[in-house]
Amino acid sequence: MTTLANRAASPQTAAPVRHTRRRRLTAIDLVQRVLGYTLIVMLALFCLVPFAWVVLSAVDANAGPNVQWPTVSIENFVNFFTNSGTPLLLLNSLIIGIGATALNLVLGLAGGYALARFQFPGRRMFMFSILLIRVIPAPATIVALYLILVKLNLTNSLWGLILVEAVLQLPVTLWLLKGTISAVPIELEEAAWVDGSSRFQAIWRIVLPLAGPGLGAAAMLTFLGVWGDFLTPLVMLQRQELYPLSIGLFRAFSEHNQVDWGLLAASAIVYVAPPAVLYVFVRKHLLHSSLGGAIKG
Amino acid sequence: MSSVTEMPVSAAAATRPLPKRRGRSNNRPLLLLLLGPAAVLIVLFIVGPALYGMYLSFTNTQLTGFAARDPKFVGLDNYVYLLNNADFLGSLGHTGEFVLYSAIIGQTVLGMLAAILLSRPWMRGKGIIGAAVLMPMIVPEVVASLTWASVLSNNSSGTLNQLTGIFGVPPTAWLQVVPMASIIVVNIWRGIAFAMIMFQAALEDVPVELIEAARIDGARAMQVFRHVTLPLIRGPVFLYLLLTTISTVGAFGLVYFLTQGGPGGQTQLAAIYIYERALQFSQVGIGSAASMILLVIVLVLGSVYLRLAKVEV
Repeated sequence: MTTLANRAASPQTAAPVRHTRRRRLTAIDLVQRVLGYTLIVMLALFCLVPFAWVVLSAVDANAGPNVQWPTVSIENFVNFFTNSGTPLLLLNSLIIGIGATALNLVLGLAGGYALARFQFPGRRMFMFSILLIRVIPAPATIVALYLILVKLNLTNSLWGLILVEAVLQLPVTLWLLKGTISAVPIELEEAAWVDGSSRFQAIWRIVLPLAGPGLGAAAMLTFLGVWGDFLTPLVMLQRQELYPLSIGLFRAFSEHNQVDWGLLAASAIVYVAPPAVLYVFVRKHLLHSSLGGAIKG
Repeated sequence: MSSVTEMPVSAAAATRPLPKRRGRSNNRPLLLLLLGPAAVLIVLFIVGPALYGMYLSFTNTQLTGFAARDPKFVGLDNYVYLLNNADFLGSLGHTGEFVLYSAIIGQTVLGMLAAILLSRPWMRGKGIIGAAVLMPMIVPEVVASLTWASVLSNNSSGTLNQLTGIFGVPPTAWLQVVPMASIIVVNIWRGIAFAMIMFQAALEDVPVELIEAARIDGARAMQVFRHVTLPLIRGPVFLYLLLTTISTVGAFGLVYFLTQGGPGGQTQLAAIYIYERALQFSQVGIGSAASMILLVIVLVLGSVYLRLAKVEV
């Protein structure tokens, strides 16, 4: 009987204690929580409301320069892909983005391997120097860069822009891939050499598959950087048929008298889509590269 | 050199025995083949422009016109001209104002607020709210500008005018009346996410026991934050301030798209001044000198932050 009573009583006594504790906390923190939710919801709205016009106008057949309830249609997107000029903007953006990323990875992989596997005088100096480069604001060097490119005959060409964009993102890629390759045990490579692989075969078969995640992160960071860049193509390209989406959107918006707002909004959505999709994959790596890259220095 | 061992990269240990095991002489060609192209291109397109810009800043180089054919060495003339030029000094002032209010105050405060609120155990919907805050950072700057162009639109049905209209405020041409405040708000909006990510990572490293101990001793939430949390995350906070200051000093597209430096030069940041001088008025010498001044300011600020953060490099 006693044990039963105890058993029955103990949850009862325990429950009120827990209950009162929860109620006490609630009483103290209720105001704080209401305030907290209010602030965070306002912050989220502040972040999202500016997108209202782009999202609503992209699907609005009668889109204007302001937010209005849309007459839903996909006409603007059809226009984007069938117009004479706009598909070329997307094509140029893709050529520049993919080309620069590929070149960046080849250079970064080779350089990162050398930095990870060879001990040579000036190696740490080199690593610190390319880290320091990130301190230089882009507008501060753009003029001299432009003049150098004019002399090398690289302005007004997609090849030139691909080369420059690939190199501008290279310091980050080198740091990222140097770290990734260092983490691959050298013993695995040595085993492959013993089995008769050449140095490059070992890199191809052993290092590359194991460096996959770092390589993927570097690829996406580079692509995002190149895709979003505005200043470099603005300075380097003067011929309309070479414009990527960033410059195309800017020029279309600047022609104040005859803007096709629906088409502009649809172009913006097309332009946002690749980074938005890629971002889902890189969230963690983005943090590591921005934070880790700076701290390691 | 001894600090190699301090490198957090775990693989440092794995690579260390390597050089002893292998002869160095036969690696030289391979090393050059692998690292050479990257090094040469970085020197050509990143280091080169910085040094060439320094040289140009001492000349009267122009893109077009008489001086374009025969640029001359003019010593410190460009610097003397700039330091007596109201437009340039004004643009430095605008950049300072822009960095102070948008990056150092706005983004830091709101990013910290978001990071703290999203670290509360009782907070629901963290994923959705986090994603919403990230959106402004993900989109390319041209799209960010485009969205705000519609928000700040001067006619009565611009998004902001529709919102303020609810409270009976007459429509305002925001980018004409308060241009600096407008671009500051836009830049805060764009940077909250980066601040939030940095501070979330820092807050995760603060030991829960210390906070609980302070609470038990009777400290209120604000006191705990001021005297326990903040000193502990001081390093990451200054690191963040360094990174955001550098990127905000270099801000160009977002502001150029919205105002092109206007109206009447009120939003002419140093970056826009350099762009216009060098590439629109084709006075490359003066533009380069302005770039060098900007670069020196960034380097000084950077070293001050590192000193304050007591970061051991």
